[in-house]
Amino acid sequence: MSKYTLTVNGQARTVDVAPDTPMLWVLRDSLNLVGTKYGCGIGECGACTIHMNGSPTRACQTPVSSVGPSAITTIEGLDPAGKHPLQQAWCELDVPQCGYCQAGQLMSAAALLKRNPRPTDADIDKAMAGNLCRCASYTRMRAGIKRAAELTSGGVSEKGGNE
Amino acid sequence: MKTTHEPSSPVVDRRKFLKVSALAGGGLLVGTYLRFGESVAYAATTSGADNFAPNAFISIAPSGVVSIIAPNSEMGQGIKTGLPMIVAEELDVPFESVTIVQGDLNPAYGRQSSVGSGSTIANYTPLRTAGATARAMLITAAAQTWNVPAGECTTDLGAVVHSASKRRATYGQLATKAATLAPPANVPLKDPKDFKLLGTRVPGVDNQKVVTGAPLFGIDVKLPGMLFATYTKCPVFGGTVKSANLDEVKKQLGVREAFVLDGIQGLTPGVAIVADTTWNAFSATDALNVQWDEGPVATQNSAEMARQAEELAKSTPPAPMPADAKMVEAAYHYPFLAHATLEPQNCTALFKNGVMEMWTPTQIPASGQGLVTRGLGLAPKDVIVHITRLGGGFGRRGSNEYSIEAAAIAKKLEGTPVKLIWKREHDFAHDNYRSNGWHYFTAGVDSKGKVVALHDAFVKMQGGPGDMNAGGFPFIAVPGSQVKSSKLPAGIPTGFWRAPGDNGNVWATQCFVDELAHAAGRDSLTFTYDLLGQVPAPAAGGRGFDPVKMTNALKLATEKAGWGAPRQRGEGMGFAITHTNNAYVAIVADVAVSRDGKLAIKKLTAAVDAGTIINLSAAEAQLQGAMIDGIGAAWFQKLTIEHGAAAQTNFDAYPMLRMNHAPPLVEVHFVKSTAPPTGLGEPGLPAAAPAVCNAIFAATGKRVRTLPIVDQDLKWS
Repeated sequence: MSKYTLTVNGQARTVDVAPDTPMLWVLRDSLNLVGTKYGCGIGECGACTIHMNGSPTRACQTPVSSVGPSAITTIEGLDPAGKHPLQQAWCELDVPQCGYCQAGQLMSAAALLKRNPRPTDADIDKAMAGNLCRCASYTRMRAGIKRAAELTSGGVSEKGGNE
Repeated sequence: MKTTHEPSSPVVDRRKFLKVSALAGGGLLVGTYLRFGESVAYAATTSGADNFAPNAFISIAPSGVVSIIAPNSEMGQGIKTGLPMIVAEELDVPFESVTIVQGDLNPAYGRQSSVGSGSTIANYTPLRTAGATARAMLITAAAQTWNVPAGECTTDLGAVVHSASKRRATYGQLATKAATLAPPANVPLKDPKDFKLLGTRVPGVDNQKVVTGAPLFGIDVKLPGMLFATYTKCPVFGGTVKSANLDEVKKQLGVREAFVLDGIQGLTPGVAIVADTTWNAFSATDALNVQWDEGPVATQNSAEMARQAEELAKSTPPAPMPADAKMVEAAYHYPFLAHATLEPQNCTALFKNGVMEMWTPTQIPASGQGLVTRGLGLAPKDVIVHITRLGGGFGRRGSNEYSIEAAAIAKKLEGTPVKLIWKREHDFAHDNYRSNGWHYFTAGVDSKGKVVALHDAFVKMQGGPGDMNAGGFPFIAVPGSQVKSSKLPAGIPTGFWRAPGDNGNVWATQCFVDELAHAAGRDSLTFTYDLLGQVPAPAAGGRGFDPVKMTNALKLATEKAGWGAPRQRGEGMGFAITHTNNAYVAIVADVAVSRDGKLAIKKLTAAVDAGTIINLSAAEAQLQGAMIDGIGAAWFQKLTIEHGAAAQTNFDAYPMLRMNHAPPLVEVHFVKSTAPPTGLGEPGLPAAAPAVCNAIFAATGKRVRTLPIVDQDLKWS
């Protein structure tokens, strides 16, 4: 067991866990941030996608000992009011079905919009191909990403969030 | 009260289906009484009706808040939004003012299964009746208060209004008085053409929680002092534990307990590891070394099954074939499929003071309770089941073996809550798979291009659903058609997978019908219309296949899709139809196949007759999702058995469809209908894959007769 002080959603959080513990379980079991989901444990499904310094990262493949001072953002910290343009678009278009994958989908999509505020279908396919939706809500997710791009009219708002 | 079983008696009807009482602290409570899957008409004729338990409650608090306890499980099908919409429509309240509360497992709610696309069908009329009756009582309460005739009062979104005197009272103000009234009998329901809410788009009530990562799912349950468990079973089905290195496992970081569970009814033997975190439990599983007694299933493998299936089919006597008919033969095969719900199976259990309390993502909570009561010798009243949101169902969570596993572990750790999470590898290795299946079709086509004989020798695993329906299309269109089913030996667990039976059988039959059209030298669309024209009309009021509804859905889908437009080589359209869970679905797929055999699905167009649409948004989403789910399964998925065990145990070996393979255009058109709603969680799935395979043939001239598509050579030149 070792102590790690992490920056999660803009706050310093200290945990005492085995060094090889993936961030997925640090978030879920130690920090009670259960929005980040376990799906496969091998980086294949994308349900555990978080941001490390703004980059989409598979939390199940990220040992806590490798995180250091990196800024970690989870779905709970994507927007302080839960009103990120993607979250708004997801509610407006009724995107979620079972909803289990959606935190990971939203984190991948948020990273996409941040670097590419007007993604094409091909851009969306490429950025989202690492995320599995077992309910196959792809039609509305694609529309949701485009709607979020519209909502930000030219760029994702920099206010709020923890990145 | 006098008992009578006269179905025409309005008093009996009302008392059997509604119970009205006062809420503690004031307000109105309306309970509906109906067993799952039964219609009011059927229930009214049932002599045991007095024993019915309420399966939903509506309450109206003095504050005006309307809430409904819903017994069914939300797994993405939208039931937690759809059921309160039905109440709100008849009660005449703004939907935003209705809250829905997930019911625990409770004998008072009747059967709580969420399977077979049945929740809406079962609840539609009872909830309408309850809503309309409550509304009538609120009107009476207002009329009495104002001393005006009830007939002069009406309602307006949560209030009773008397226009002549310009008086208005909210439901909240009237609820306590209404609760003192005798419920009226036979309150008329709205004419469906007057629906204001039903048929509109209402977003899921928990969407904001979903998009912000709030705890909702079984896997998110957290209790004070909770420990985390894994449960490792023999990879070979039916295998048992001979010995395990438990002392070594107990030395692993964070491990609190490790023990073998065996000899418990309904529980597959295995090794439980309980640790302080999920990760420590998972890591300790890597250190676990078990000597298994693999048992007889170890000899089973997929290749041998295919050989046996062919043998069985060959031993089936051939169908009588008119001498002058052209014979068409084809063999179709689909593999085992895993459910792979993205939330792995899990259950949290606490055994304390003789009571087992469980939090379970389950489609049939009563079956989990039953497993635990029988396996652990507890009374049903001492097994409490809380139903969480499900991270996908697809039929997987109808069986509840994870419930008895969690409960058996928790019983050993009395007083400590334990969350059991199956590792993904365990989830793949111990599924109740969609059975593999083999169809050996033989048909005869006469000189006019009419099908005069149709025979199917069908083989699947022993046990589980998915038997071939000889009464389904196209068999009912061909007099004298035969379906002969044979079974492979049991051993591999099979179970309900979204649209059981139809999910594979409709693929095979709809592809073969397309083959027959081409063999007959006929246009496939008119060929299918002609076949539908040969289907006898169903009995009045029956649930049989209605060829007119099916034809109309196919007409709508092909019109909307622009069927018949000329295509260049490598592009093509195909269609398929299905009658699943009483809904009629026609799907047109528009595909492109590159010369080197790469498939792209450009567009799907569906036309659906599902009766009254409750929530257009959820209905459309279910169709879109089910179609793509069906295509994803057919395109990429294959679970094989080697040495009596699943050969694929994670998503790297079992690829599933992602955004980059999803069709960019998916259209869903609903046939306007005022008939009662059908289910919609499953009907969109079966016809999608055959529509794609028929489109592949149109594009390339190649038939896909074995799934998955990705294993087939689609190159053309």
